[in-house]
Amino acid sequence: MSLLAKKVDTSRAKTGDAPEARPFSNRRNWDWLGMLPFILYGLLLLILPSVSIVIRSFESPEGGFTINNIIEIFRRTDLLNAYKNSLIISLLTALVGGIWGFLIAYAVTSGALPGRIRNFVLTFSGVASNFAGVPLAFAFIATIGNTGLITRGVSYLSGVNVVQHGWKVYNIWGLSLVYLYFQLPLMILVLSPALDGLKREWREASDTLGGTGWHYWRNVGIPILLPAVLGSTILLFGNAFGAYATAFAFAGSSLNLITIVIGAQIQGDVLFNPGLGNALALGMILIMSLSLYGYMYLMRTAARWTR
Amino acid sequence: MKKNKASVFFMWFVFISGMIYFFLPLYATFDFSLRMLKDRLSLEAYKEVFKDPNFYTNFGYSMVWSVVTILICMLLFTWTAYWMHLKMPHWRPYIEFVSLLPFVVPAVVLIFGLIRMYSRVSVGSFNLLGTPILLIATYVVMAMPYMFRSVDAGLRAIDVRTLTEAGQCLGASRSQILFQIIFPNLRVSLLNGLFLTFAIVIGEYTVASLLGWPSFGVYIRYAVAMKAYEPAALSLISFLMTWVIMMIVQYVGRGSPGQTQIATH
Amino acid sequence: MAFIQIRNVSKAFSPNTFAVRDFSMEIGRGELVSFLGPSGCGKTTTLRMVAGFEIPTSGTIFIKDTDITHKPPNQRNVGMVFQAYALFPNMTVAGNIGYGLRIAKRPPAEIEQRVKEMLALVHMANFGDRYPHQLSGGQQQRVALARALAVKPEVLLLDEPLSALDAKIRVSLRGEIRTIQKELGITTIYVTHDQEEALSISDRIVVMNGGRIEQIGSPFDIYNFPQTEFIAQFVGTLNAVKVEVKDAAAGILRLENQTIKTTQTSDLGKNGDQVMIAIRPERLSISADGAAGNVLEATVENITFLGAIVRIQVKIDQATFHIDTFNDPFIALPQIKQKVHVAFPEEAVMALKNK
Repeated sequence: MSLLAKKVDTSRAKTGDAPEARPFSNRRNWDWLGMLPFILYGLLLLILPSVSIVIRSFESPEGGFTINNIIEIFRRTDLLNAYKNSLIISLLTALVGGIWGFLIAYAVTSGALPGRIRNFVLTFSGVASNFAGVPLAFAFIATIGNTGLITRGVSYLSGVNVVQHGWKVYNIWGLSLVYLYFQLPLMILVLSPALDGLKREWREASDTLGGTGWHYWRNVGIPILLPAVLGSTILLFGNAFGAYATAFAFAGSSLNLITIVIGAQIQGDVLFNPGLGNALALGMILIMSLSLYGYMYLMRTAARWTR
Repeated sequence: MKKNKASVFFMWFVFISGMIYFFLPLYATFDFSLRMLKDRLSLEAYKEVFKDPNFYTNFGYSMVWSVVTILICMLLFTWTAYWMHLKMPHWRPYIEFVSLLPFVVPAVVLIFGLIRMYSRVSVGSFNLLGTPILLIATYVVMAMPYMFRSVDAGLRAIDVRTLTEAGQCLGASRSQILFQIIFPNLRVSLLNGLFLTFAIVIGEYTVASLLGWPSFGVYIRYAVAMKAYEPAALSLISFLMTWVIMMIVQYVGRGSPGQTQIATH
Repeated sequence: MAFIQIRNVSKAFSPNTFAVRDFSMEIGRGELVSFLGPSGCGKTTTLRMVAGFEIPTSGTIFIKDTDITHKPPNQRNVGMVFQAYALFPNMTVAGNIGYGLRIAKRPPAEIEQRVKEMLALVHMANFGDRYPHQLSGGQQQRVALARALAVKPEVLLLDEPLSALDAKIRVSLRGEIRTIQKELGITTIYVTHDQEEALSISDRIVVMNGGRIEQIGSPFDIYNFPQTEFIAQFVGTLNAVKVEVKDAAAGILRLENQTIKTTQTSDLGKNGDQVMIAIRPERLSISADGAAGNVLEATVENITFLGAIVRIQVKIDQATFHIDTFNDPFIALPQIKQKVHVAFPEEAVMALKNK
C-alpha cells in the first residue's frame, strides 16, 4: 500500500473555482455541504468511537473521573504479560520480517535476479499479505501443529516423537512464525518502491570517484535506504500489534495478547471493569498512532531523497 | 550493480529460502486436505465442503456484505474524493488523516468503541445491533484507506479541474461531467478499489464474529474448531480465491503506476 | 602521443545486436571531443566503456599509454557527470564535492580547501551547506561537475549533462563548462544529441549513427563539409534535393527544368545518375540582377520571422527550398507568390554520399 503520503501539489487548486457566474463569497459558504456525508461518516464511525474510548478510559465504575484504570494496567500481571507478549511478537516479527524482507526486496529489485522473479514476488506478496486470518492460522496448524507436516517430518527424521517431548507451537514463538507470513510480504511491498528509487547512477558516481562497493554502501546506499527500511519496520510493528484474527484462530483465547484481551472484553466483561477495557484500547490506539506516525515521517524523508 | 558470484549466490539463497517458507504451509495444507479418506489421497474434503449448506449460506452472507460495502464505498468515497479535488482541496490534510485512521484503530479496537457507543441505540423495537448496519459500517471503515486512496490517485492522474473546466466550456452540466467524463476515467481506480474491498470483506473474521453475524471467515473458524480436514480445503480455497482477486487487480491496474495495493487483516 | 586511444572497440549486448561497432579514435591532451548522434547511436555506450561501466566485446582503450579496457571504474581516475546529476541526496553540496577526496583519505584541511576551490570554480561559493533537493537543476549539475573535478581526474566524461535543463540554462551552462574545461586543460569527452551544443563547444566532433562513426572533424568541417547525407541532415538545417547528373566532369546537374552547377565534382558518379545534393539555407539569397554562380527562378511560398533570422520558403520547380537571411527591418521582403531569383555559389552545392 502506498502510504507514502507525498506532498500533493495543490498549487493549481489554489486559484479557486472553475469559471462560475455567481459572486465568489456567496458560492463558497455552501461547498462544505458536499462533504457532509463524509463528515458524518468520519464522526460517527471513527472519531466519536475513538473519543469515547479515550473518555471512558478515565471513567470509574461509578461514573466519575479517575486515572485508576490506567494505573490498574500496571498492577495486573496478566495485563502486563499481555502487553509483554504483544510487544515481543510485534518486535520479533518486525525485525525478522524487516531484515528478511529487505534482503528479498533487495535481491528482487537489484537486477541480480531475473525480471520475472520480481513480478512474481510482488504479486505473491500481494496475495500472501491478504491471506492473513483464519486460513493462515490453519495452514500453520497443518504445518507445525501436533499432526503437522513439519512436526511429523521432524519426528520421522529424528526417530523421536517430538510432540511427546515438548514440541510446543501454540505460544508467542509459534505465532511469530505465523505472523511472518504477512509481515514478510508487507515489508517487500512497502520497501520495493523505495529500493527502486536507489538510482544506479549513484553507484556509478561513487565508482568514478574512486569508491569501492563498501564505500558506496556505507556513505550513500545505507544512509539513503535507512529511513525507508526503518519506517517499514515500524509499520510492521504496528501491523503485528493490532492483529487479532490470526492469533485467535491459531491459539484461541489461551494466548495472552492485548488484542485477544480486548476481544474477550467485547464478548463479556472479563476484566470486571469496563473502564479498564477502554484503557487497554486507548493504549493500543496510542501505540498504533506512534507506529503510523513514525512510519509516515520516515517515508517522507525517504521519498524526498529518492525522488 | 556489480554482480559478483558471491552476492548473486546470496541473493538466490535469500529468495529461495523465502519461497520455501511461503510454500511449505501451502503444501502442508494441500497435502492435509487430500487425506480425508484414511488410506488414499482424494478430494473428499473438498466434496464435503461443497456439500455443506452452511458453506453456501455463509459465503452468501459474505457476498452480500461485500456487495453492499462496495456500493457504499464507491458512492461515498468517489463523491468525497471528487468534491475534495474540485471544491475543497484545502481540506485534503484532514481527509487524508481520516483516511488513515483505520490503520491506527485496528479492527478489534474499532469494534470495541463502536459497540460501546451504539449498543444501546434502539428506536422503538428497532435495535441497531440486531441489524447488520454496524457490520457494514465497520467494513466501510476498513475498506476506506484502499478505496479512497485508489480513487484519489485516479483523480489526481486525470486532473479533475481541467477536465471539469473543459466540460463546462463545452456546455456540459455538472452531473453530465460527473457521469460522462469523470467516472469513465476512473474505471480502473474503481475496479481496483472494488476488488481490494472484496478481498478484505470476503475473508474477514474479527468483526463478523465479534458482532455475531455469519460470514465466510466465521465459517472457516467454525470448521477449524469443529472439523478436521475441511478447514484445510477451505484454507486452500480461500488462498486460491485471494490469488484470483489479486491477479484481477493486477490485470485491471496494469496501465496505472503504483496501483498494486495490499490489504492487511 | 595521444592522450586517449580507443582502438576498434565494439560492444554487443546480444550475439547479433551491436551497440557500438569498430569505434576508433585518438583524443589529444586537453581536447574537448563531442560524441554527437541521435538516440541509440551508441555514443553513451562508448562513453560508458571509457568510464568502465561496460566492458568492450572487442577492442582496447588506453589512457596515457595504460590499457584500461578491463579496469574497474574506481581505478581509472576518470570523472563523470551524469544526465540525472546523481548527487548523493544524503550529503550536503560540500559533502558531495569532498566525497572522492574523503575516499582517498586526504587530510581534512586539504579537503576543505579543495571544496572551496571547486565551489568558486562553478560559481556556487555560498552553497556548501545546502542539500541537493534544495537546488535547481542547473545548480545541481554545477555541483556534479565540481564533484567530478575535485579529485583531479585525468579525463572528464559528460553524459548529456544538459538534456534535463531549461533551454536558457543549457546555453549559459555549456559555455561555463567549456570555459572551465579550457582553464583546467582537462581532456574531455562530451556526449550529446544536441548538434548546436556540440558545434559550439567542441574542438572536434564525432558524429555517430547506428553504432558507427560517420565522421570525425572540427565543428567547421562537420557543418560545412559533411561527408554523408546523414550528417548533412542531422547537423544544422539543410536543403536537400535529388538531381540528375548531366555532365559529371563539369559538375552540371539538372533539377527538372533548371540547371545547377557545382564545383564538387568528385562524388557525382556517372552521367545520367540520380544524386542527392544539399545546400545550406544561409548560402542561398534572393538576388537582384547580376549575381554570380547559380541563379534559379523560384516562387515565394512562405516567410517565417525567427528573430535574428528570416526564413523564406520558396519553390524551385517542384522542390521546396529554405533560404535563411539576416533580419534587416529596412529591407523589404518579397511577397508571397512573388516570383524571385534565388542565387547561390557553385561551391555551396554539396553532393551527398549515401553510406
